[in-house]
Amino acid sequence: MPGDAADALERAQVDASCRVPVMLFFASAVFWLVVGTLFGLIASYKLHNPLFIIELSPWLSSLLEKFSPAGTVELINASLTFGRIRPAHLNAVAYGWAAPVGLGVAVWLMARLCRVPLRFPLLVSAAGVLWNIGMFVGIGVLLSGGSTSIEWLEFPPFVSFILFLSFALISIWAVDMFVHRKPGHVYVSQWYIMAALFWFPWLYGTANMLIQLIPAQGSVQAIVNWWYGHNALGLWFTPLGLAAAYYMIPKVIGRPVYSYYLSAFGFWALALFYSWNGGHHLIGGPLPAWLITSSIVASVMMVIPVVVTAINHHMTMKGNFQVLRYSPTLRFVVFGAMSYTLASLQGSSMAFRDLNTVTHFTHYTIGHSHLGLYAFYTMIMFGCIYYIVPRLLGREWVSARLIKIHFWTCAYGIVAMVLILSVGGVIQG
Amino acid sequence: MSFYYILMLASMVILGGSAVYALYWAATRGQFSRMEQGAKVIFDQGEPVGKVTDTFPGLDMEKEQKRRAEKGKKTLKRKV
Repeated sequence: MPGDAADALERAQVDASCRVPVMLFFASAVFWLVVGTLFGLIASYKLHNPLFIIELSPWLSSLLEKFSPAGTVELINASLTFGRIRPAHLNAVAYGWAAPVGLGVAVWLMARLCRVPLRFPLLVSAAGVLWNIGMFVGIGVLLSGGSTSIEWLEFPPFVSFILFLSFALISIWAVDMFVHRKPGHVYVSQWYIMAALFWFPWLYGTANMLIQLIPAQGSVQAIVNWWYGHNALGLWFTPLGLAAAYYMIPKVIGRPVYSYYLSAFGFWALALFYSWNGGHHLIGGPLPAWLITSSIVASVMMVIPVVVTAINHHMTMKGNFQVLRYSPTLRFVVFGAMSYTLASLQGSSMAFRDLNTVTHFTHYTIGHSHLGLYAFYTMIMFGCIYYIVPRLLGREWVSARLIKIHFWTCAYGIVAMVLILSVGGVIQG
Repeated sequence: MSFYYILMLASMVILGGSAVYALYWAATRGQFSRMEQGAKVIFDQGEPVGKVTDTFPGLDMEKEQKRRAEKGKKTLKRKV
């Protein structure tokens, strides 16, 4: 068999082996994205107009009273209050959408880069099912008023345990894949994925232990809270987004990454600096000055891996920007990579005490978090879905026009949202 | 309670140790040598350097380039 045919066969076998588990992760993630966005829309509207759907309309209430158990209408009315719908939005989007879609992409990338068909697909699928069981229970608990009231860790301990277990299965699977990979160089995306799959269970387990099982007292709890909250973004979503970008950009345009040395340097610099950043959420809080200052220093040091990554992606794309006209994946991923630079530099600047005094507790922070999780992470994940799904199912996307509409509505939407929230936040502060 | 403290301390040591080991492993197994070759592992004979691997559904890039050239529009001049 000629070399190119053998390579195509190997890729096809790898893709076929990933079909069920990866599609399970993608489909459930998209479901939670829709649900989470709806929660976000209601929460946002209620923040500005608390009287918005304060209770279900009389005709709907009477209809529900006829066909559902007693108390359903009261439960729904209570679920729609801001204090419940807002954490439900965050958790549905972060743990329902962002985590599973990242896992789906990570599973596919690991199989592709290890160049072996997916090992133990049932285990990966079981982890996906378990994760979604945890999500349904968790969101149900939040809507019925059972939140722990700790941001990013609102799920009660038994739900956290389900998610932890599911994640641990994926981590163990990743180690097995890595051990059984075909010999050769370990690509930078694998470094990012392996690191993310190691870091997150450790972060999640430790944070839950220190907040739920043996709760840290007083202001120390806030440190644990934001150590986890920021690291969930920096040591979990960021490495997965970058792993995807480091694969997709060179692969789509057919050009090796500009400087592979810089990509490795960026990885180790991120590993060194990101884990210290959480303290900048507590500027002005009743905490030792050295703790906040060291966090501010680390936040500014993050400029190094961010600029390194930005230069690397830009120089890889240089001379190939016209391909953006033809590739849906590239459009989303390049938009995401550019947003990563912007979000990270903005984040570093927000750690300065002077700016933080103005922007803290305002919409500016909300704009920043959406620039990170939506404009960067989600856009890259959309790009990956456009690349991976046709290869898994052996079918092309139905409509190029719908993909273009998807891209431009997302791009205009997030740019408008971030700009408006940023300006509004500065006025607020 | 002391069980959880021991567990946390152990996990810190294991995680920190595994990061140092990963760096050592990468350095001794040649992962940091001939790095520019490492960048090419995502390509193969079927999808070599120079080949665009993703386009909008139903779009043939070569035909599209010809059509654009005939109309006198800018065509793709890529740097590979």
